[in-house]
Amino acid sequence: MNPPLNILLIEDDAIEIMKLHRAISSLNLSHNIIEAHHGEEALEILEQKDNLPDIILLDLNMPKINGIEFLSILKNNDILKYVPTIILTTSSNQKDLLECYKIGVAGYVLKPLKYDEYVSKIENLLKYWSMNELIKL
Amino acid sequence: MSCPNFNTILMSQDEIDILKQQLAKETAARIALESQLLEMNNRFEDSKNFLQLGCESIVDAFLIMDLTGNILNMNESARKILNLKENGIGYNLMAMVNANDFEKVSFSFKQLLKEGILTNFELKITTPLQQEKIVHINANVVYENGEAIAAQGIIRDITKEKEAEEKLVESENRLATVISNLDKGILLEDENRNIIVTNSKFCEFFNIPLKPEQMVGYDCRAAAEQAKHLFKESDAFVDRIEEIIDGCEMVLGEELEMTDGRVFERDYVPVFRDGEHKGHLWTYKDFTLRRQYRENLDQERLKYRNVITKMSLGLVEVDLQDCITVANENFLRMSGYSSEELMGLDAKNLFKFDQKFMEEKRENRDQGLTDSYEIKMITKAGEERDWLVSVAPNYDSTGNMIGSIGIHLDITDVKSLEREKVNLLEALERSNNELEEYAHIVSHDLKSPLRSINALVSWIKDDNKGTLDAPTIQNLGLIETTLERMEHLISDILAYSSVGFYENEKEPVDTQEIVQDLIQILYIPEHITIYILKPLPVVFGHKTKIQQLFQNLISNAIKFIDKDKGLIYISVEELDDCYQFSIQDNGMGIEKKFHNKIFKVFHALKKSDESTGIGLSIVQKIVELHNGKIWLESKPNKGTTFLFTIKKGSNGTA
Repeated sequence: MNPPLNILLIEDDAIEIMKLHRAISSLNLSHNIIEAHHGEEALEILEQKDNLPDIILLDLNMPKINGIEFLSILKNNDILKYVPTIILTTSSNQKDLLECYKIGVAGYVLKPLKYDEYVSKIENLLKYWSMNELIKL
Repeated sequence: MSCPNFNTILMSQDEIDILKQQLAKETAARIALESQLLEMNNRFEDSKNFLQLGCESIVDAFLIMDLTGNILNMNESARKILNLKENGIGYNLMAMVNANDFEKVSFSFKQLLKEGILTNFELKITTPLQQEKIVHINANVVYENGEAIAAQGIIRDITKEKEAEEKLVESENRLATVISNLDKGILLEDENRNIIVTNSKFCEFFNIPLKPEQMVGYDCRAAAEQAKHLFKESDAFVDRIEEIIDGCEMVLGEELEMTDGRVFERDYVPVFRDGEHKGHLWTYKDFTLRRQYRENLDQERLKYRNVITKMSLGLVEVDLQDCITVANENFLRMSGYSSEELMGLDAKNLFKFDQKFMEEKRENRDQGLTDSYEIKMITKAGEERDWLVSVAPNYDSTGNMIGSIGIHLDITDVKSLEREKVNLLEALERSNNELEEYAHIVSHDLKSPLRSINALVSWIKDDNKGTLDAPTIQNLGLIETTLERMEHLISDILAYSSVGFYENEKEPVDTQEIVQDLIQILYIPEHITIYILKPLPVVFGHKTKIQQLFQNLISNAIKFIDKDKGLIYISVEELDDCYQFSIQDNGMGIEKKFHNKIFKVFHALKKSDESTGIGLSIVQKIVELHNGKIWLESKPNKGTTFLFTIKKGSNGTA
């Protein structure tokens, strides 16, 4: 059994947050979710360098700093750029996809309409990252 | 005489007288004979001296030869001419005669013998020193006892004279050739107005049917009278000639108009010799063409001056210091300045250039290059205008650059239109991008709630497992289906609004490959078979859009097949400038009245879960993006054929 992951979820939609919680609990996983409702809050959390998340799940459509701007900030930071960041979004916009991979993301996952499909995607995603060797600071 | 005997003493006195008379007669005869003899003797002596010694005392070259040409004697002058050393006696003169002249010499010698004298005989000889000389000979025969024994003569070396003479002849010939070939008519009269020389041009000019040689000696007074009808002002022509001759001074460049329209220019030069008026030289030039040229030139000049003055382009001439020397009306109007204000003004001050640009243009001009460029101009009213300028160097008649000529066209309006166009295009691009962004945001914002509702419904079902009644479960199911349709709709609207956003990314697209891939990917029910009837071509377009085009049409065909055995045929025809594709099904068909409607957004004929009514709109938009047309042929219950064209590219693809 792999150790649980520290997941920073950056998401402004309350139901989306509930979906992740509910998915993890229904999958009987013990990952730890840190919530940030927008980019600025996330950056505050990430200032605690001794307690960085293992992975970041990032929504693109957010108020204030949008997802791509936030990603740029991360990747320009000498420490934060090593944290795998997975985009979790509704945007199938080709431009967003290209831009994200250009700046540097560890994954790009589209939120499906159906909740069942969502659960299945989250399961796979977490399974994949649980199995990966991650940088522990 | 015998001794007188005695008897004779006894002769009578008569006899004595008779004898005395006889004696006197005899004595006289003897004396006469003696003196005759003496004279003869003297003459002989003389001639002997003459033959032997006398010649030395003659200054002219003198020579005596025998009848075979051997020199008997000659003086020093003759030796000099003939280049003979010593006394030269015994030298045969025939050795100096050139072979060509043997006959001539022989003829002349015979003449000499016959006539006893030969004068003005000229002969070319080659001396023993191999010098060629021309000699002039006057000779006579020397007779002895009535018989020719020798020939004597005076020789003159006329080589130099001959050369000079030849040169003179040559130069005369040359002069004659020049005169006869001149494009001017020449008439030289003596002081009595008789023709000395004229040339063929003169005869030609005045229609004289004679050769110039035949004109010599002709009286010009009469000639002028005869010819005067050729001139427009006949009497004035004759009077003027008299006047000029009386005036006795050079008259140049007088124009004479002929009745036939020709124009001549006439020069008169009086000829003097030793201060005495000896004749008149007239020259006539055909001036007709030149005058026409001049008139044409004047006309052209006037025309262009008018054009320049009136043209709607501004024209300016500047000198080498860029000071304005000429400006046409329109330039004044364009710049707002008056002519007085502009004259002498440095043209640079009128225009806004940067220094480097100005220097570059100036360099071009100094190299004699023609140039055109745009400049900014500030009019007198302070208004900034855009002008298009074409500048060419200006030269004087001797080819020196004296400045430049600039032609100016006010293109402010064109420029502002151009700028407007650029702005519009930029705005269009911006708004296109914004629209696309907007479509994505709207789609995201619309889809998010759907996802949430879906999650919530799914949790309600989950959390209340076993406690919900059947109608509730069914209603929840309907909510989920509706959410799916809603999501589908949003995706289609997004797809439709995205078509055409990547206009400049066309590439060769293999439609055969695309259709084959689609047949693999798409869900095709068991009872339907798709046939590709002809190999499909490579076209020039957007790969993903073309893929979407075929996908939508094939899906559409599948969707509307209501037969037990479904058939879909995909084919293509190559036309002149495009490919015409066709997708034929044996489905339910479409009524004619709907043919145009179906391409409109949201006009699905049969509402269904999968059909939003946007698919064919997207198809039409894609076809139009590829400069093609789309239409359909259909019979209800028999089937439908969608046909569309994609324009070929210049490289053979579409």
